[in-house]
Amino acid sequence: MYEFDWSSIPGALPYLAHGAIITLEITFTAIIVGIVWGTLLAVARISSIKILARLAALYVNLFRSIPLVMVILWFFLIVPQAIQSLFGGAIQDIRLTSALVAFSLFQAAYYSEIIRAGIQSVPKGQAEAAYAVGMRYRQVMLLVVLPQAFRNMVPLLLTQSIILFQDTALVYVIGLGDFFGTAQRVGERDGRIVELLLFAGAVYFVICSASSYVVKRLQERTA
Amino acid sequence: MISIRDISKWYGTFNVLKSCSAEVKKGEVVVVCGPSGSGKSTLIKCVNGLEPFQKGELIVNGTSVGDPKTDLPKLRSHVGMVFQHFELFPHMSVLRNLTIAQLKVLGRDPQEANERALKLLDRVGLKAHASKFPGELSGGQQQRVAIARALAMDPICMLFDEPTSALDPEMINEVLDVMVQLALEGMTMMVVTHEMGFARKVAHRVIFMDEGSIVEDDLKESFFGSPRSERARLFLSKILQH
Amino acid sequence: MHYHWNWSVFLSRVPSGETTYLAWLLVGLQWTVALSLVSWITALVIGTPLGVLRTVPNRWLSGFAAAYVAIFRNIPLLVQLFIWYFVVPELVPRHLGDWFKQTNPLFQEFIASWLCLGLFTAARVTEQVRAGINSLGRGQQGAGLAMGLSLPQVYRYVLLPMAFRIILPPLTSEFLNTIKNSAVATTVGLVELSRQAQQLVDYTAQPYEAFISVTLLYLALNGLVMFFMHVLERRTRVPGYMVSR
Repeated sequence: MYEFDWSSIPGALPYLAHGAIITLEITFTAIIVGIVWGTLLAVARISSIKILARLAALYVNLFRSIPLVMVILWFFLIVPQAIQSLFGGAIQDIRLTSALVAFSLFQAAYYSEIIRAGIQSVPKGQAEAAYAVGMRYRQVMLLVVLPQAFRNMVPLLLTQSIILFQDTALVYVIGLGDFFGTAQRVGERDGRIVELLLFAGAVYFVICSASSYVVKRLQERTA
Repeated sequence: MISIRDISKWYGTFNVLKSCSAEVKKGEVVVVCGPSGSGKSTLIKCVNGLEPFQKGELIVNGTSVGDPKTDLPKLRSHVGMVFQHFELFPHMSVLRNLTIAQLKVLGRDPQEANERALKLLDRVGLKAHASKFPGELSGGQQQRVAIARALAMDPICMLFDEPTSALDPEMINEVLDVMVQLALEGMTMMVVTHEMGFARKVAHRVIFMDEGSIVEDDLKESFFGSPRSERARLFLSKILQH
Repeated sequence: MHYHWNWSVFLSRVPSGETTYLAWLLVGLQWTVALSLVSWITALVIGTPLGVLRTVPNRWLSGFAAAYVAIFRNIPLLVQLFIWYFVVPELVPRHLGDWFKQTNPLFQEFIASWLCLGLFTAARVTEQVRAGINSLGRGQQGAGLAMGLSLPQVYRYVLLPMAFRIILPPLTSEFLNTIKNSAVATTVGLVELSRQAQQLVDYTAQPYEAFISVTLLYLALNGLVMFFMHVLERRTRVPGYMVSR
C-alpha cells in the first residue's frame, strides 16, 4: 500500500498560490476579452454584410476545429515574433503573454456561438418593434436585442467559463507555471507527485463543483 | 398620405404580394382584412419598410420607401406601428418603453419625454402602471401600452398589424376602445384586423385581400352591404357568424 | 519576416536516418486516430448505460451515475491524465502497479491516455444520453409500459433507439471533442499529432511548415468525421419526425 505523506503541501502553499494567481489571471482575462470579442464575432456572423459573416464564420470554425494544445503552441510560436517586430524588445513574461492571447482568441470562438444562439433566440418581433419606432441598427442591438440575449445566455456563458478555468492547466505545454504546473513541479521536487496531484485534483474539483452548483441555482432562479 | 402602387414581393420563389395598389388619405381609417396567408401583414410591414419589396412604389407622406437613399429610421420615427404580439421591451419598465425612442431617436429632453409618456399612459388608462414591467401586465394592458408607445413619437399615421388577434376575448374591447377613440380624433390609420365591429364603427374604407392580391377596395357601406366578389362574400359570411 | 520556407523538409530523413519527417507526421496521425477511436468506443460503452441510469427511478443508481459525471467533469482533463499516469499505478495492488511501470513506455502512455480520455468522455456521453432520453418525454415511456413491456424493454425498444437518433448531432460534436482532447496525451509523451508537431519544430528549423501541416491534418480529420456522421444521420433518419429543440 502506498504510504501517503502530505507534509510537502503546507510549505509549498505560497508557491502554489503564485501558480493559482497565474491560473486566475488567464481565466479572467480570457473571459472578459473572450466575451467582448465573441460578441463582435456573433454580431458579425448574423450581419447582412456577406464578407463579414463569412470571415467571422471562418474564424469561429477554425478555432473550434483544432485542439487547444495546438492553439497554445501556435501562439507561443507567433507572439514572441510579433512582439519583437511590433515593440522591438522582448517582454518579460512571454509565456504568460502568449497564453493570454491564445486563450482569449480561442475562447472568443466558443463564446460567440453561445452569444449567437442567444441573439437568435430573441423573438424577431422585438427587433421589428425597435425598428418601427425609428431606431437604427446600433440602437436596436445595444438597447433591445443584446440585453435580452445576454439575460438568456448567462448560465451557458458561465458554464463555458468553468470549462475555460479547467483548460488553463494546458499551459503546461509551454512550461508556464499555473496552479497545476506549480503543483506538479513541487511534487517532482519533493518526490511526492502522488500527493500533489491528488491535492491539485481536489482543489479543482471543489472550485468547479461549487461554481457549477451556483450556475445551476442561477438557472433555476431565472427560468 | 400612404400611396401603395403596384407592390409585388417574393419570398424566394413564392409570390406573396401580387401587384397591390391602394391609397390612404390623411385622416382616413382603412381596414385590411382577408383569410390568413393573404399577405395583409406583409403588405402593412412594407409600408414602414420592415419588409422589403421587389417591384412597385410606396410613398408615405412624400417619402419613397423603396428608394435606397431614403432614411428609413427617420421615416419610421414618424409612422407608428402596433404589433400582434405587443412587442413591448420586456427588460424595460412601461415608462421606459415609452421614453426610450423619444430620447434616443427624437433626442427629446428627458423631462419632456417623461411628461408626454405619462400623459399618453393616462390617455390609455394605465398611468398607475408606469413603473411596472411588461411581464406584470395583462395582454390587453400591454397592447394599450404599445399603442401609447407608438403615439409617444407623435406619428403622422398609425399602422396596426392584427392588434387584437393575440388577446383573450374579454380584453379585446379595451384595446378597440382606444383605437376607436384614436380614429375619432382624426388619426390616419391602416388596420389589419378581423374585428368587423371596429370596421363598421370607424372605418372609412375596407380592403379585402386574398392570396397576395387586393380583391376589393370599397367604402365601408358598400363592402358590408354588397361585396362585389365571391371570395369577399364567402369570407364575410364565415367571419360574421361569430 | 526573414523566414525561409522549405516544404520539402518533410521528405528529408530524420537524424537517426531510418525514416522521413513525413513518416513521423503520419505516425502522429496514426496514434491520434487510434487513441480517439478507442477512447470514443469506450466512452459509448460506458456512457450509454450510465446515461440510462441517470434516468431510472431508483435514486441510488441515478445518484451513482450523477456522482460519476460530477467527478469527471469537475477536474481538468490534464490533471486527470497525470493522475492516471502517475498516481493510479501507485494506488493499485502492487503487482499491477509494478507491471504497468515496467512495461513498454509507449504502452504506458497509451493505456493511461486511453483510460483517461475514455472515462472522461464517458461522463459527457452520459449527459447526452440522459438529455436524449428526457427529451422524449414521459409519454413514450408510458405508452411502452401500457403495452405490458418491462422497464428494461421500454428502454431497449422504445426510448434508446429514438434517443440515439436525437443525440446524433451532439454526439458527433463529442467525438470531435475527443479528437481534440487527444492532444493532451502529448504531456505524457505519447507520439500523437501535436507531439509530432513539437518534435518537428525541435528537429527541423521549419516551425511554420510543421504547425501548418499538423493543423491541416486536424482539420481534415474534423471534416472526415463530420462527413461520416452526416451519412449516418441520413441513413438512420426517421421519416417525418421533426426533432424539435
